[in-house]
Amino acid sequence: MISAMAAVLAGTVLACFLAILPGLHIYNVMGLAALFLYSLHGGGLAAMPEVYIPFMLGLVTGWSVLNTIPSVLLGAPDESAIFTVLPGQKYLMIGRGYEGTMMIGAGSLAGVFMLVFLIGPFAPKFLPVVRYVFNPHMHWILWVVIAFILMTEWPKGGNRGPAGWSKFFDAWSTLGAGLLTFFLSGLLGFLLLYRPLVSVDDAFQNIMPAFVGLFAIPWCLINAISGTEVPKQYVCDTLNINGDLLLRSSIAGGIGGGFAAFFPVITGGIGGLLAGHATAQRDERIFMMSQGVSKVVYYTGALMLFFAPGLFLTRGGGALIIKGLYTPHTWGDYYLALGSIALSGAVSFLLMSPLTKWTLKLIKVVDYRHISIFSLGIIIALVFVITGWVGLFIMTVATGIGLIPVLFGSRRLNCLGVLLLPIACNMSGVGEPIAAFLGLLK
Amino acid sequence: MKGIAHFISGVTVASFCPWAVEAAQNGNPAFFILGAVAGILPDTIDFKFYRFFYHHEVSVEPNPSQLDPQLIADAVAAAIAEAVATGCPVCVKLATIRIGADNWRQYRVKIDPDAGEVRVQFGPVVSTGQVPQPGTLPATRPVGLAKLSVPILQSYEPIYTIDIFDGPSFKFTRNEAGQVEIDFLPWHRNWSHSLTFGLLLAGLTSLWTWQAGVVVFGAHVLHVIEDQMGHMGTNLLPPFTKKRMPGLKIMHSGDAFPNFGCVWLCCLLIFWNLYAAIPEPLYHFSFIRLMLYTMIIPFSVFGVVRWLLVRADKGHPETLSTEWNI
Repeated sequence: MISAMAAVLAGTVLACFLAILPGLHIYNVMGLAALFLYSLHGGGLAAMPEVYIPFMLGLVTGWSVLNTIPSVLLGAPDESAIFTVLPGQKYLMIGRGYEGTMMIGAGSLAGVFMLVFLIGPFAPKFLPVVRYVFNPHMHWILWVVIAFILMTEWPKGGNRGPAGWSKFFDAWSTLGAGLLTFFLSGLLGFLLLYRPLVSVDDAFQNIMPAFVGLFAIPWCLINAISGTEVPKQYVCDTLNINGDLLLRSSIAGGIGGGFAAFFPVITGGIGGLLAGHATAQRDERIFMMSQGVSKVVYYTGALMLFFAPGLFLTRGGGALIIKGLYTPHTWGDYYLALGSIALSGAVSFLLMSPLTKWTLKLIKVVDYRHISIFSLGIIIALVFVITGWVGLFIMTVATGIGLIPVLFGSRRLNCLGVLLLPIACNMSGVGEPIAAFLGLLK
Repeated sequence: MKGIAHFISGVTVASFCPWAVEAAQNGNPAFFILGAVAGILPDTIDFKFYRFFYHHEVSVEPNPSQLDPQLIADAVAAAIAEAVATGCPVCVKLATIRIGADNWRQYRVKIDPDAGEVRVQFGPVVSTGQVPQPGTLPATRPVGLAKLSVPILQSYEPIYTIDIFDGPSFKFTRNEAGQVEIDFLPWHRNWSHSLTFGLLLAGLTSLWTWQAGVVVFGAHVLHVIEDQMGHMGTNLLPPFTKKRMPGLKIMHSGDAFPNFGCVWLCCLLIFWNLYAAIPEPLYHFSFIRLMLYTMIIPFSVFGVVRWLLVRADKGHPETLSTEWNI
C-alpha cells in the first residue's frame, strides 16, 4: 500500500512539471513510460502493476488538474482546455489570473469528488447497462454530435448595414471558415489514419503532431505576434464562489466530461460544449468551474472506467496504453484506481496555488511574448524529438488549418474534424470507400 | 427553447420510429441525423439565413462614446408615429453596441402601453455570455423618454434588453382599431416555424422515403410545440394565418432548468426506445424504474442540496442582474 501511495505521489509530482510545459500531452508521456516498461520487460526485469498503475493514474489525474495553469496563464491550451482559455485569459488581462486559475482548479477538485464518491460507486452497476444499450448505436450518436457542432455555430458578423447578400456573406465568413476548418482537418485525419506518416515505432504518437498544430501552436503564435502586455496580477485570499455555483458547475461539467469519457471519440472539448448548451449556464464562474470539472471527469474518468468491474471500458489514449501493459479484472484494481485518483486529485489541488503563484512570478519577470516564443520552442522541440521531421511537417500543415478559426473568429472545436470525420465514416462503414476515393488505399 | 433542446428533441422523435432504430442497428444513421437537423432547422433558417435578408426601414445605431438614451427613445417613437401616419408597417432595428472583442454595452427599451411612452436606459458592459462586468455601469444613468400619441398593443413583453451580437427588431403596424401593434423580431418564428412549412419539408423528404417524411414532420412539429411554451408564440399556418399565435408563457427560451430538463428527458426517452428495440435484452427494467433512478431521484436530490446550499448562503440564489429603473 505504501509503495502504491508513493507511486501515486511520484506520478502527481512529475505531472506538476509536465503540466507546466505547454503543449505536452500526458498521453505522450504515458506512451514513453510504456515503452520504458516494455524495454524493462525485454531485459528480463518487470515492474509491479501495483506500482506503475498508481503512477500512471497519478500522472493523468495530476496533469488533468494542473494543466489549467499553462492553458490560462501561458495561453497554450490543449483540446480539452480551449473553452477555458477565453474567460481564463480575460481574468488574466484584468489582473485576476490567479483567481481564474484557482476557480477552474476548484472545479477540478469537484470533478475528483464526483468521480470518487458519485460516479465511482454507481459505475460498475449502471454503466454496463448503458453500454449494452448504446453499443450498436455509437455511429449515429457520433454523426449527430458532428451535426450539432456544425449547425450551432453562431454567425458573428452581418449585424450592420442594409439587408441583402453583403450582410449574409459578412455573417457567413465565420460560419464558412468553421465548415472549412472541419472538412480540412477531417481530410488530414483521413490521411493520418490511412497513410500514417509517423514510423511504426512511434505509431501511438501518430495524432500528436496534428493536435499540437491544430490547437497549441496557433495560440502561441498569436500570443507571440500580438505582443500582449499582461497587467499586474493580484493574488486573492478567497474565491468569489459559493456552494450553489459549485453545485451547478459540477452538474454541467460532470455531464459533459462523463459523456466524453463514456462515448468513443467524443473529447472533453465536445463534452464541455454539449454540457454548456444543455445546462444553459451564463455565469462565467460557473462556465470556468464546469470546464475544470469536465476536464478531470473526461481524462481521469475515462481511465477510471477502464478499471470498473463489469465494464472495463477502453476510452482515451491512457486506457489504451495501460491495456497493453495490464488487464484489470478485480474489485481490488478498481479500489486501487479510486484511491489513487482521490490522493492524486487532493495533492494536485494543494499544489495548484503555489504553482500558479510561481507561474505568475515568471510572467512578471519575463516578457509574455518571450514566454509564448519559449512555449512554442518547447512544443516544436517535443514534436521533433518524438516524431521527427515527418511529425514537424504534419504539425505545420495542422497549424495552417488551426489558424483558420483563430483568424476568422470561428469555433476552434471544428479542428476536431481530424478525429470525428474519419472515425464517424469508419463506424458507418463508408470510411474505406472515401479513403479509396481520396487515393489513400493505393 | 435553446438549440440543443430542439436538436435532441428531433433525435428523440426519430428514436420513436421503429424503422429509424432498425436502420441505425444496421449501420444507417440517416433517420437520426434527419431528425436532429429537422429539429433545429427552423431556428437555423431564421438566424443564419432569413434575418440577413429582412429589410428594416429604420436602424438605430447608438454612439458608444456618447450614450444618449433620448435619441433612441425619440427614434422608436418617431417610427411608431410614421406607422400611424402612413398606415404602412415600419420595421425598426436597434443595434447592439460592441465595445471590445468580448464586451458589449447593454441597454433597455421599455415600450409601455399603459403609460403610452417609450423609455430607454443604458446599463453595464456585459460579456458575450451576457454577464455584467463589475464597475461598468455609467456614472449617471438618465432615462430617455418619448411620449406616444396612439394606443399600443404588445404581443410580447414590454421591456427589451439589447446587448450581444445582433440587436432586436420590431415591426410597428397600425390596425383597424387605430392601435399600433408591436411585432417583436418579425423575421423570427414566422413561416419557418409553421406547420405548413413542416408539411412542405416532410413532403420533400418523402421523395426519398415516407419514413423520412414522418421523422422530419415529427421533429418540426415538436419544435413548434416547444416554442409555443414560451412568450412569443409562432405563426402556425401561413399563408392562411398572418400573425403569431401567442405562446403559453410557461417559460423563457433561455431558462436553464426547463432547457436542461427537456434535454435530459429526451436522452432518457432515446435510451428507453433503444432498449425497447432490443429483442431479448440481457438486462430487465421498467420505464418507471428508469425514470425513478435517472430523473426523479437525481432531480430531487439536486433540489434539496441546492436548497440547503442557498439557505446556507444567506437564502438567496445568486443571480446576474442589474438595477434598472426604467
